[in-house]
Amino acid sequence: MLEVKSLSVSYGAVQALSNVSVHVAPGEFVSLIGSNGAGKTTLLNSIMNIIGNSKGSVTFDGKDVTKARTPKIVTKGMAIVPEGRRIFSNMTVRENLEMGGFTRPAGEVKTNLQKMFDLFPVLEERQTQTAGMLSGGEQQMLAIGRALMTSPKLLLMDEPSMGLAPLVIKEVYEKLKVLAAGGLTILLVEQNATMALKYAQRGYVLENGRIILQGKASELLGDNEVKRAYLGKEYKEKWER
Amino acid sequence: MQFLYSGLTSGSIYGLVALGFNIIYNTTGLINFAQGEFVMLGGMLIYTLFCMFEIPFYTALPLTLAGCFIIGVLYERVFIHLARYKTEINLVTLTIAASIIMRDVAMHIWGRDSLRVDDYIPVVNVQMPGGVISSQSILIIAVSLLVAWGLNFFLKKSKYGKAMRACFDDQTAAETCGISVRNVRIMSFAVSSAMAGIAGVIISPITFVTYDDGIMIGLKGFAAAILGGLGNFWAAVAGGILLGIFESFSASVIPSGYKDAMAFFVILLILFIKPDGLFGRKKATRV
Ligand SMILES: Nc1ncnc2c1ncn2[C@@H]1O[C@H](COP(=O)(O)OP(=O)(O)O)[C@@H](O)[C@H]1O
Ligand SMILES: [Mg+2]
Repeated sequence: MLEVKSLSVSYGAVQALSNVSVHVAPGEFVSLIGSNGAGKTTLLNSIMNIIGNSKGSVTFDGKDVTKARTPKIVTKGMAIVPEGRRIFSNMTVRENLEMGGFTRPAGEVKTNLQKMFDLFPVLEERQTQTAGMLSGGEQQMLAIGRALMTSPKLLLMDEPSMGLAPLVIKEVYEKLKVLAAGGLTILLVEQNATMALKYAQRGYVLENGRIILQGKASELLGDNEVKRAYLGKEYKEKWER
Repeated sequence: MQFLYSGLTSGSIYGLVALGFNIIYNTTGLINFAQGEFVMLGGMLIYTLFCMFEIPFYTALPLTLAGCFIIGVLYERVFIHLARYKTEINLVTLTIAASIIMRDVAMHIWGRDSLRVDDYIPVVNVQMPGGVISSQSILIIAVSLLVAWGLNFFLKKSKYGKAMRACFDDQTAAETCGISVRNVRIMSFAVSSAMAGIAGVIISPITFVTYDDGIMIGLKGFAAAILGGLGNFWAAVAGGILLGIFESFSASVIPSGYKDAMAFFVILLILFIKPDGLFGRKKATRV
């Protein structure tokens, strides 16, 4: 479904990605883990062409979308939940969702809206509230809902756990599990390796802009290198807090 | 009281122009210094169609507004879109250049004289408590408020208006919803240019229209936008009305030759004392 081939991105002198190749098959839940600054956000943003200075190619659904503009990619069926959620904080919850449906016909927006309210009842309760007033977890749900309103085949997720309490993180991942079971293809990037790999079928490890490991998520979870570099780090962070 | 009425009249116009500044500021972060030239253009177009070609007013009006709308689109395409290095300082400088070009072109087409736009509504003076107000003034105030209300309705209720607000909030996020920020930017220039055109049409029977009208009206609209606080639509209208009233009252105590200077006095005062404007809020922080 998604095929990223030897993608390289640099910001001036900083080489953020070098020769990254990633693929996602229809129906898969793939997680890519990497520490802060590894290049995860850069990867997702280049796939969506939010940053456009990349070398390499991105193919989606058999079509080359390397140079396609972001709104065009969205209409083709790829959606992103951006890092830091980036909801429209001055608009209401409902308006945020409606914006997700911007490219869809009115009837579809209506049915999708109902689906979102069923999946995230809290959004229905708060639909007239200003989105900026929501809690972090609710904002994450809203960002996911907004992305789903585009009726995507593939959902890109950038660090859904960022800044959320462990219980809320679990809740978010449980929703993703439901969506994946419903047939949605997901490519997720995370620092929080444990959660990301637990819910995924396959995984990649990104370090300093290069893919250094890939394989079944369960195998990566058990990999000593991963344990040392990522799981161990989280463990350490917990202690430092 | 008479001062209040004339202040309200000019203030509504400043408010309209300030709204135009606001729309463009919200979608691009730019101050469009050619905003006043669009007001002039509205006056010139209505003069040409209605007074020169004697097209009936209710046909000439939509043609004028459509003209301003289209020129707004072209303006964005030429001066903003084509700019090679889109830094704010470059683009703002370009808008200043554009305003000079528009003024020169207008001078060549319409000459240097003030052009009189015939009355298109019956002129009557309405007796009000403490003074009189002309029917044209009432029209100006009513139309300005109607436009402000219409803009608000458009932004709150229509799909494209909401998309515009989404772009005010976060352009990247808007793009990930499939909203073309490029199109919204074009639309914001077109809408604010059409609004300036409306301002030009409604003041021209009172002030007449001259090729260089845009400078003063543009700067006063800018002062109104600063007074109210950029980024807030109702504040822009309120800022305009306040500026108009302030200007009108000041004319009664200081020589009227200084009337135009009041707008700049207000800009300075606000920039020194309350840079966010009277009603300015800090932009909602992004999480
Ligand atoms: N806009 C930018 N300008 C310059 N360097 C950047 C920019 N964005 C990211 N980088 C650099 O690129 C690298 C990858 O960043 P990023 O993709 O945000 O990583 P991650 O999402 O994995 O934390 C980092 O070294 C970061 O400092
Ligand atoms: Mg990141």
